[in-house]
Amino acid sequence: MQTLERARRAWIALALPAMGWFASTRPREATPEVLRQPPVLRNTSSVPGIVEVTLTAAPARLRLLPGGPLVNVYAYNGSIPGPTIDVREGDSVIIHFRNQLPEPTTVHWHGVHLPADADGSPLYPIAAGTAHDYRFRLGAGSAGTYWYHPHPDRRSGFQIAMGLFGGLIVRAPNDPLAAAGIPDKLLILSDNRFDSTGAVAFPDPKSIQASIDVENGREGNVLFVNGQVMPTIPIRRGEVQRWRVVNASAGRVYRLALAGQRLVQVGTDGGLFEHPVDVPDVMVANSERVEFLIRGTGEPEHGAALEDLPYDRYMPQTRPADWDKTRELLTLHYTDEPSVRPPEIPSVLRPIPAFDTTHVAAHRVIVMSQGMIDGRQMDMQRVDIRSHVGATEIWTIQNVVGMDHPFHLHGFHFQILDRGGVPEPIRGWKDTGNVPKHSSIRIAVRFDDYPGKWMYHCHILEHEDEGMMGILQLR
Amino acid sequence: MTHGRGKSAYAMLAVVAISGTMLVAARAATPAIASSPTERDGIAADPAVLLGRYLVITHACGGCHGGNEEDPSAPGWLVGERAPDQQFLIGPCAVTPGAQPCFHTHPRNLTPDNETGLGRFTERQIFNALRYGLRPEDTPDVKITSNTPGEGNYPLHPHMLAPPMPWPSWRHMPDNELRAIAAYLKRGLKPVTNKVPESEGPPDFWASEYQEMPQLKMGPLQPAPFPTVNERGPGGK
Repeated sequence: MQTLERARRAWIALALPAMGWFASTRPREATPEVLRQPPVLRNTSSVPGIVEVTLTAAPARLRLLPGGPLVNVYAYNGSIPGPTIDVREGDSVIIHFRNQLPEPTTVHWHGVHLPADADGSPLYPIAAGTAHDYRFRLGAGSAGTYWYHPHPDRRSGFQIAMGLFGGLIVRAPNDPLAAAGIPDKLLILSDNRFDSTGAVAFPDPKSIQASIDVENGREGNVLFVNGQVMPTIPIRRGEVQRWRVVNASAGRVYRLALAGQRLVQVGTDGGLFEHPVDVPDVMVANSERVEFLIRGTGEPEHGAALEDLPYDRYMPQTRPADWDKTRELLTLHYTDEPSVRPPEIPSVLRPIPAFDTTHVAAHRVIVMSQGMIDGRQMDMQRVDIRSHVGATEIWTIQNVVGMDHPFHLHGFHFQILDRGGVPEPIRGWKDTGNVPKHSSIRIAVRFDDYPGKWMYHCHILEHEDEGMMGILQLR
Repeated sequence: MTHGRGKSAYAMLAVVAISGTMLVAARAATPAIASSPTERDGIAADPAVLLGRYLVITHACGGCHGGNEEDPSAPGWLVGERAPDQQFLIGPCAVTPGAQPCFHTHPRNLTPDNETGLGRFTERQIFNALRYGLRPEDTPDVKITSNTPGEGNYPLHPHMLAPPMPWPSWRHMPDNELRAIAAYLKRGLKPVTNKVPESEGPPDFWASEYQEMPQLKMGPLQPAPFPTVNERGPGGK
């Protein structure tokens, strides 16, 4: 029967045009530059507990490629990444934002728990040439690595690709790693694509590349850390460093590994875990953050690459031919300076209580498919989910298609209960959870305060811009 | 090795490569073989589900999608590909091993399992898949009124079902029959978890291939009026 079955199958010969769309290049000029930290935004307030800063989004001309030309970009305060907003738990933050772009924008404080009208969602656009003050207060326990980026209707992918993204660090007064003398660095990962003149390139909307970008998210072939290509981070023997990593890429997902040593992951989107976790590599989906420790254990005057290991998040229709290649992001350089005494890595970081899920107001199923959530594209006039302040809910985020979709909820941190039915081994505060192809995750969330309308969406920027987003209204 | 009822020619797909375009021709099903499903299966079942069951059997969906062409009691009935020998090779590699391009396509799980089957798709999305060849997960749950991309809820960038799914032929079936198939798949089957790999294809999800077929425009196609030169009219001529 099987033979007959197979004989009956039609084996189709089909001539397709030359498969040029899989062509991909990977220019990378090694630069011996040491990784720079983005400038820290200056606090103009002298009142303790109040941080007052000015942030301007404007067109600029910057050199993005080493040795390349000055090209047209968008930048916050003239730099890519934008300046780091470095604040503390308990601070009241006032950001005087000026939009000097030729188009509307917003600033979304990604992952920060704040009032809905300060969230920078597409419901609150800042018109070209106008200004807006964002105000929010950072509560106890909010310490973590966050970032900010534009979130205007349908233009997030373009504006972020043009250079608008920056880091936001909230520090705790009793951070156990800082107390142990472990220094930290911010590493904002981004990628971009350039044309032959070195300008930021976007495909012709009618091209095959444009439709690939809509599926995969716009992946660039040049990888940046804090805007630098293959920078170096020096480390002394014995030294331990804490790296706060942000994935600011539109579509690229990173699976980070450091040649020659395992990583000690200490945190995720919303700050530290309860305990350090020893891992061989760590995945950072779009907009996610990870914090991990690396150690100066290598041979002096040798280097180890921070690698981006292959991870197949793709639809087979648009999977890049070189998806299975390991890429390199930076070099950790073990110096021959005198060694230092290794700090003691604390075994307890902070408590993270599990949500009380004995009284759950609602169990919901959120279905992500290609470009849609629950079979619909976003309508700014529509409310998709109604709930109330104080509610604890459990959401099953289901991905019914053959590519990964990173799910982001604005305004509230959640805890991942399980992934594909497998209980999440480490509790942490999350605002984004990757949902791999044909699988689901379950999250618990509590809407403590802040009524209003909140976005939830796929954080592949092209999917978000295409309307793969819904609106949650809290009363 | 017997296959019974002379249906061996069913679902033979002849495909010819013509300068970058694809031509698919599928022969229609052989005459009905089942007794009236309502008589056989009693009065409790939904008539649409039973009609859908009859159509699924007579169109041999199970031949590719698992189990058996015509036996709903067969193991693996409509659960999709369970072994590599059920996949299809699409492209020159089907004839010449190693030739490019080469796509593997996979008969998917048609049972209403939420994660691996059709559970999360509405009957209208399944109807749209059969009528317009649109992947249900990539197409909003809306009524489609046009076959022009970007109009009447027809997607501007359609994602089509992978070959050799013979939807270009089956879209000629009447609405009620396609709806009945959707009803049977959604309400007449038990969900079975069987994760089938995603079919491969060109980055436009086959849309350009179908768009370029001159005689197989997307969407409903009115057949030429009867009789054509190949057919006998009422007068026998």
